[in-house]
Amino acid sequence: MRETPLSNCERQFLLKAIEEKKRLDGRQTYDYRNIKITFGTDYGCCIVDLGKTRVLAQVSCELVAPKENRPTEGILFLSLELSPMASPIFEAGRQSELLVKLNRLLERCLRNSKCIDTESLCVVSGEKVWQIRVDVHVLNHEGNLMDAASIAAIAGLCHFRRPDVGIQGDEVTVYGPEERDPVPLSIYHMPICVSFAFFLEGTYLLVDPSEREERVMDGLLVIAMNKHREICSIQSSGGIMLLKDQVLRCSKIASVKVSEITDLINRALENDRKARKEGGKFGFAELMAVQRITALKSDEVSIEMSDGDAGAPSVAITTESPPEVGRVPSPVVRAPGAGQVGESLENAWGLEQLEEEEDQPGDEVMDEGLEIKEENQRQEKSKGEVVVISDSEEEEVVILNPKTQVKESTLHASQSQPQSTGAAKKKKKQQKKKPVH
Amino acid sequence: MRSRLATTMEVDGLSAFSLREFGCEQNLLSRPDGSSSFVQGDTSVLAGVYGPAEVKISKEIYDRATMEVVIQPKVGLPGVKERAREQCVRETCEAALLSTLHPRSSLSLVLQVVHDDGSLLSCCLNAACMALMDAGLPMGCLFCGVTCAIDPEGHIVTDPTAQQEKDSRAVMTFAIDSAQHRVMMSSTKGSFSVNELQQCIAVSQRASEKIFQFYRESVRRRYSKTV
Amino acid sequence: MAAGFKTAEPLEYHRSFLKENCRPDGRELGEFRTTTLNIGSISTADGSALVKIGNTTVICGIKGELTSPPADAPNSGYIVPNVDLPPLCSSKFRPGPPGEQAQAASQFMADVIESSEVLLKEDLCIEKAKLCWVLYCDIMCLDYDGNLLDACVIALVAALKNAQLPEVSINKDTDLAEVNTDKKRHLNVAKHPVSSSFAVFDDSIVIVDPTAEEETLSTAMMTVVTDENETLCMLHKPGGTSLSSEKLQDCISRAVTRNREVGKLINTVTQSVETDK
Repeated sequence: MRETPLSNCERQFLLKAIEEKKRLDGRQTYDYRNIKITFGTDYGCCIVDLGKTRVLAQVSCELVAPKENRPTEGILFLSLELSPMASPIFEAGRQSELLVKLNRLLERCLRNSKCIDTESLCVVSGEKVWQIRVDVHVLNHEGNLMDAASIAAIAGLCHFRRPDVGIQGDEVTVYGPEERDPVPLSIYHMPICVSFAFFLEGTYLLVDPSEREERVMDGLLVIAMNKHREICSIQSSGGIMLLKDQVLRCSKIASVKVSEITDLINRALENDRKARKEGGKFGFAELMAVQRITALKSDEVSIEMSDGDAGAPSVAITTESPPEVGRVPSPVVRAPGAGQVGESLENAWGLEQLEEEEDQPGDEVMDEGLEIKEENQRQEKSKGEVVVISDSEEEEVVILNPKTQVKESTLHASQSQPQSTGAAKKKKKQQKKKPVH
Repeated sequence: MRSRLATTMEVDGLSAFSLREFGCEQNLLSRPDGSSSFVQGDTSVLAGVYGPAEVKISKEIYDRATMEVVIQPKVGLPGVKERAREQCVRETCEAALLSTLHPRSSLSLVLQVVHDDGSLLSCCLNAACMALMDAGLPMGCLFCGVTCAIDPEGHIVTDPTAQQEKDSRAVMTFAIDSAQHRVMMSSTKGSFSVNELQQCIAVSQRASEKIFQFYRESVRRRYSKTV
Repeated sequence: MAAGFKTAEPLEYHRSFLKENCRPDGRELGEFRTTTLNIGSISTADGSALVKIGNTTVICGIKGELTSPPADAPNSGYIVPNVDLPPLCSSKFRPGPPGEQAQAASQFMADVIESSEVLLKEDLCIEKAKLCWVLYCDIMCLDYDGNLLDACVIALVAALKNAQLPEVSINKDTDLAEVNTDKKRHLNVAKHPVSSSFAVFDDSIVIVDPTAEEETLSTAMMTVVTDENETLCMLHKPGGTSLSSEKLQDCISRAVTRNREVGKLINTVTQSVETDK
């Protein structure tokens, strides 16, 4: 579905509000929306809510061969997906401009800043390394996807545990979670993106733009930074010119925001660790806000089966039992490697004209040996080539009539074909028909 | 992982079956017209519905709405397995929805797997039904999904966990309609006898009553004046 | 007159036949179209079969290749079914990447192979964690007139029975695989799954072996796969209108009968090739 354009009055309203230093959701210029980080039951699974924007990240790993030029380094693979659930304008599997841009930003923020120790992911140099894959799914698009995605990705990486491996000789054993505790990744630092939206040629600036604000902004500046105030990546898009002071001011704001968010992630990780240690409940099942009227939970329920159990088998009995094997119609072998069953409907191809030989299941068994022998003679010529049901009889007429008529037309058909193979067939047909008459 | 009591207990010669604790939250995403998150034990699926909306000309059907279902796996891109599941969910929804009321329009349902701990297809179906309800789309009947597994000893386990599915001889998922409690969809894995099939259907029909009861309660809770 | 009626009101046209317990092509409700099987039709494949159910034509070729076993199951091989619906078989398919129906059919075939254990993947292993066979089962539809799945299953089973793989051993000294093309042996096809498809009209009338037209007009489709021991391998009903368990039972009984017919067909045809040698 195409995006509904923003009306002029709405655009003007939003811009006017920004000029008056007001935001529609009541935030101040430098305020983030509420950030909520929840971890799933799986290691490396995390949902980040940034206001109403929601992003799901899942980290997974597998053993792969390393890149040729870096035989001792593991691989970090990032994949951000704009699920059609997030917005009606997103299509499944389409490489939109926004998607490419977000993926590139995420790669620069996490991979190029070397946030995880890839060398510790090496198992056998040049042969087997761990590939860490981060899948980020955008579930609800209410603006500032980049910040939410970067928080989810880094929080997922911090939460993730990969299985332990043991090496004996050249045999690599991957231990399950029961055998050996999975090991966390070694994280060097936690880069987090902070987005700044600029309005009216850069006169006004807002942190964490909402979807509406993103649609009227002139330019966007994304700064990826860690809590040591090191800038990992910086990108300005939208074609606005920024002054040196503006960039410096933004980086100062970013450093404050990043340290707040890092604290939040660490607290969330700590909570999750505690819950797991105490054997308490964790995971998304506990995330549900049960007090809301839109949510409801049911405890484990048991299903009583009284009459149902007894009723089920009776269904099986009441229906007629299938016929005995002997009563099943015998298939007709046209030629070695070609057979047919069913006598109802012909297809438009010529081949059923051979139908003459079927219909007498009893005879079929008797004649089988004979028939195949005859077929052999016929096939000797065509051996070596692919056996398609090929002989002159294909030119015969399609017969859809009852048996008596079949016989008539059989005679007619075979008479019209004086070839040797046809003659052989005719002989056989007569042989077969004898017992019937 | 939380341990689960054995689900098949012999009580006076009759088997007792159980569904894991389940829950649902509706209307939790702001963008979709209807959304729901359905949780069965640890299995969790998020669903979002858009529609009735504009449809691509190439997909337009003149007398009813075009239904599209997308299932997003948690890791990697959707594959052939997801396509097969999508087909099952789509045709079940199509049968339940009164799509003739919205000709030349599109309905799209997106399901995101959040956690798979067994009975995934039935959780997808339940999340789909709750999201369709939340979107307020006209439906002829409701539907729900129930998964049954048959363990090597021949016991039936309802709503199995991933481990139970792995240990079982056969796994079947049925979609049951709310009007006549009949089988709308069936998807099976592994081999089983006719008798076992009929038993599983009977059990699923019973289990569906519990789920429909839950649907009813959640709607009542949502629209009642006193919480 | 009738042709006009058929074009203008296809559903009513079909209903008027179904009311009389017959179908536009002259079949009864529970009657299959003529099923024709030809095996060994592709000489370059390791095994092949061509199946026609009425006008629906499906060809299956099996090609075995050597590869290393999967890491998580070192003593098994691979069976990779793929169903192709090219534009040549019907105007409803477009060129390009496989559509939903083709993908769903491929998945269905994979499920049938796994559920019925027609061929054990362990049999395809040659040397544990070193070498195994991968069987590519490519199924192509040449003419689509409904009931694709039944034709595919027959074609697959017949082609597997027809397939012969050369003997392979690993040379202890060189650690290389040696292929002995003179010694070929058949695969160990343990089960013979046969599928039967049904279409539901107007929520109540069940017909077997639907044509393409009947498929589009029906309100639900169902496919039952059984093996020769009357064990169910699949009950695949991808949605649509609901069916009671009694109706399901009728369908299963019909499927069991069909299994015997087709089982006999496959056996007779395979034997006829063997006696031919």
